[in-house]
Amino acid sequence: MGKQTRRDFLKVTAAIGGTAAGITALTPKQAKAASPEILSEDRMGVLVDTTVCIGCRRCEWMCKKVHGYDAGDIETYSNEEVFGRMRRPQNEGYTVLNRYDNTKNPITPYHVKVQCMHCDRPACVSACIVGAFTKTEKGAVIWDTDKCIGCRYCMVACPFQIPTFEYDKAIEPDIRKCDFCYERTAEGLLPGCVDICPVEALTYGKRRDLITIAEKRMKLYPDRYINRIFGHTEVGGTSWMYLAGKDFSELDFPKLSDAPAPGVSESIQHGIFAYFVPPLALYALLGGIMWVTKNKEKKSGEEE
Amino acid sequence: MKKLIKHIALIIFVSGLINNVTAQTHSKMEFSCQTCHACETPTKSNPCLIPCPREKMITVYQLPEQSPDIIVLDKMKSREDLYEPVQFTHRLHAEMAGMSGGCAMCHHYNPPGNVVPCSDCHSAERKREDISTPDLKAAFHRQCMDCHQQWSEKVECKSCHELNSSGKSAFDKQRKASERVHPPIIEPKKLVYNTPSYEGTLVTFFHNEHTNLYKFECVDCHQNESCAKCHDTRPPIEDENILFAVKHKKCASCHDTENNCASCHTNKETAPFNHKQRTGFALTPYHTKINCVSCHTKAKVFSGLSNDCNSCHESWGPENFNHSIVGIELSESHIEWTCDVCHDNRNFTAKPSCNMCHDEDITYPDYEPGERTK
Amino acid sequence: MEHNHKPIPVKHRYFTPGVIGIAIVAAFGMVFLLARFLFGLGAVTNLDNFYPWGIWIGLDVAAGVALAAGGFTTAALGHIWHRDKYEVLVRPALLTAMLGYTFVALSVVTDIGRWYSVWHPLIMWNGNSALFEVGICVMTYLTVLYIEFLPMVTERFMGRVNLPGFLKVFNKIVDKILHVLDRTLNKVMFVFIIAGVVLSCLHQSSIGTLMIIAGPKMHPLWQTPVLPLLFLLSAFAVGFPMVIMESLASSRSFGMKPEKDVLSSLARFVGPLLGIYLAFKIGDMFIRESFVYLAELNTASIMFTIEMVVGVIIPLRMFLSPAVRASSAGLFIASILVIFGVLLNRFNNFVIAYDPPYTDTSYFPSIGEIAVTLGFVALEILLFRAFVMIFPIISQPVKSTIQKAKYAIKGA
Repeated sequence: MGKQTRRDFLKVTAAIGGTAAGITALTPKQAKAASPEILSEDRMGVLVDTTVCIGCRRCEWMCKKVHGYDAGDIETYSNEEVFGRMRRPQNEGYTVLNRYDNTKNPITPYHVKVQCMHCDRPACVSACIVGAFTKTEKGAVIWDTDKCIGCRYCMVACPFQIPTFEYDKAIEPDIRKCDFCYERTAEGLLPGCVDICPVEALTYGKRRDLITIAEKRMKLYPDRYINRIFGHTEVGGTSWMYLAGKDFSELDFPKLSDAPAPGVSESIQHGIFAYFVPPLALYALLGGIMWVTKNKEKKSGEEE
Repeated sequence: MKKLIKHIALIIFVSGLINNVTAQTHSKMEFSCQTCHACETPTKSNPCLIPCPREKMITVYQLPEQSPDIIVLDKMKSREDLYEPVQFTHRLHAEMAGMSGGCAMCHHYNPPGNVVPCSDCHSAERKREDISTPDLKAAFHRQCMDCHQQWSEKVECKSCHELNSSGKSAFDKQRKASERVHPPIIEPKKLVYNTPSYEGTLVTFFHNEHTNLYKFECVDCHQNESCAKCHDTRPPIEDENILFAVKHKKCASCHDTENNCASCHTNKETAPFNHKQRTGFALTPYHTKINCVSCHTKAKVFSGLSNDCNSCHESWGPENFNHSIVGIELSESHIEWTCDVCHDNRNFTAKPSCNMCHDEDITYPDYEPGERTK
Repeated sequence: MEHNHKPIPVKHRYFTPGVIGIAIVAAFGMVFLLARFLFGLGAVTNLDNFYPWGIWIGLDVAAGVALAAGGFTTAALGHIWHRDKYEVLVRPALLTAMLGYTFVALSVVTDIGRWYSVWHPLIMWNGNSALFEVGICVMTYLTVLYIEFLPMVTERFMGRVNLPGFLKVFNKIVDKILHVLDRTLNKVMFVFIIAGVVLSCLHQSSIGTLMIIAGPKMHPLWQTPVLPLLFLLSAFAVGFPMVIMESLASSRSFGMKPEKDVLSSLARFVGPLLGIYLAFKIGDMFIRESFVYLAELNTASIMFTIEMVVGVIIPLRMFLSPAVRASSAGLFIASILVIFGVLLNRFNNFVIAYDPPYTDTSYFPSIGEIAVTLGFVALEILLFRAFVMIFPIISQPVKSTIQKAKYAIKGA
């Protein structure tokens, strides 16, 4: 430690500065990848009308089928015993229906379809360590399984507790969640669940059109709906939105603010790393202290 | 409602006579354009229709016998049809609908004229530009499920159509069903309900009184009723609060169900309503044909009226009262006198006196002031 | 180094009954570790779709990183502020940090589903992700730690290279490489020392950022936007107690006299550091008014109270007392409490506070998870023991100056 010269110090410091500047120049492009500007005004969404859904669970069957899982006999999905307990999306079935009492009319209970909400400002996209998740311009939140390292941070981050993980696989375990039938829609088809729904409780269309339609329905049938579209503003808006006949908290929807889920964490991240200025400043400060205390020591050494 | 339907039927009939006019001229109809259109000047390309305003429905009206027997619902073709098309027993369903909401239950929003096919508004394709109305598949399913779900409490695709892959078909079952005819519904005279009320368990409901005497229309009480109204298979409601609300809802529009239990709940069957017995004022002979609300104008309040005629008929006099209505057409010499000349102090229940003009030996009813009409 | 004592390899029997016990714990853990790699995470852990992170992240990674803070805090004190008095503690602290981070990295490899893809973040970047930052910083810092450790290797082997068998022919060239390495390192080491401190500050705080994105899924007693600051401050506070504890423990284990006056004066820093942490923690609690949750009696409030009282307030009082600082036992207990406090804080943040929706069950680590965690700790202790016996890490009085030595070796 004692042998270094002032020249070394400057040389190395300059080299580090150069590298850091290089990294700095690269960083903004990376950061932009997840910014909300890429969202298209025409991005697609689905309006789920929980008062229309009849609970036939054909969407569950179709979801398994289009994603290549063993869906089984479609008629077995008429079995309503499954509504006895609340279910959540699984590795091999990205959507499920849950049943809730309708006090206004006990004969026609409400059904809530659960799947990825495809947030406009997704927490998973922000959280993913390798940037495997993408919010596509058209609305879907998809992930690149080749990038995934299986850290499950997306599951921690998701405000809707949606992604699932293949815990039982030793090799190539994958994250699983609704992909908004990204491949089908690219071919011009409808998402599987939307396609099969007999009563069109799921309306697929441009997100802004869906909001207009939802508002119209609420205005026309004030007795049928509570006056709120879930997903319109929650966590910065979601591609899937819900209409309901009773309060969303009674339908097991999480209580969420309108602030995008990754907002706080991203601003902290970018605060600490604002163009690498704070780390470099800290580096310079510590270097300065080191230099000063060293000289002091030298001086006191000379005096002795 | 019925009036409106009659109007429409009449209009259709008349317009059919004139020139077999169809929907194109429905702008000449006597109801407001705003019933159906949102904008001032609807055009054919942009009719700016209000989406399904079921409260103000305009529809066709036909007797079930005039309608098609079976309609095959096969207009929706998707890439892979999981289920066979449905053989819809139209006549049977029209008959059933006739017992509740009529044709309008399904044929909502039909401008006067021909029956508009569902597919005119509801797209056969689910992927479409205008998503404000449900597509055809959804429209059919919503119509059917509305009753079928309530009726069977289950979602059973098989009851209407079998899987294409199953090799079975629901056709035969449906054809057989189409031959069935619903027995006519007879209006009950009196219904006695046994209730779990604390104060008097029996409620005697005189159905005929409500229709004949109180002049209720069927739809005043029987709104949006489906088959489940009679063919109810669901378990009874257990929540007492809901039960109370459901059971009292229909009565509450006239009766004070919150505070005045004893007026309906008694320990024995009650006699039919008798206005004289209950109030001391006989409706016969002059008041039998008028609606209750003509006198009892305040909703749900039936007390406070006096049996003194003047309390209602104060303004009546020779110029506006046709005396022959009480059975005596006044002669020319009597017709111009004011009422109190014969009816002392305008007391019409007491015997009229003639002594204002006549001697004491001339009394009513030995002598009459005109010719008896009844 | 003008000291009368210098770091040399410790001469002692490796296996003692205690060490054998630790080795058994390590072996037990390795069995479950093997099972995890052969049969997958589901076979060994209690993790599920609601609780994706367990003690392998909460304790092995988060607490592991915090407890390795002794490395950078001591380095900053000894090398940046040039308090030469603490020079004797730098090497053991560096070794702890190096082993600590190595095991953090191993734990990450164990916990992630695709351990063979652990290098992905190096080329697949996501600047928005706190985890990405932690990952990159930990990887870089681990490299820096290895570089910082190199002088001990060169010192040990320079002029003593003796490769077995036919490799003998390389003896000369390896020795030359070591010499070149030694000269170069000497010139540039300060770069790595500062880098080490900067990197530590960055990821110690970013580990706190990790759970912020969980938002309302995290109990409000812990969820706060200042989590990164709290994590950094607690890392500062736990660094020295960790060094004190480990110095006392190893001198006892090797039967050496503890360097008590160095440790006692080091302990003077702990009180203020812990005080600052406590001040921020309480300040945050009052600004967010989260103290209302302490009125409820549940796991969260109990754990929070234990964390604050046992882990922060009691040791704070102890470290402020000169009497405690002067006694080995007092120092040891106070340090253990701080370590326990930070350990519990990380565990609480990642496990107890995390309350996902849609489940009424809660997570409890499986035997396999506990075994692997304990196994890693045991392995770390075994390696530490081996390293101090191979490399010149622990400062001991040199024989020629034994009269002047402050620290005599008992029974050597």
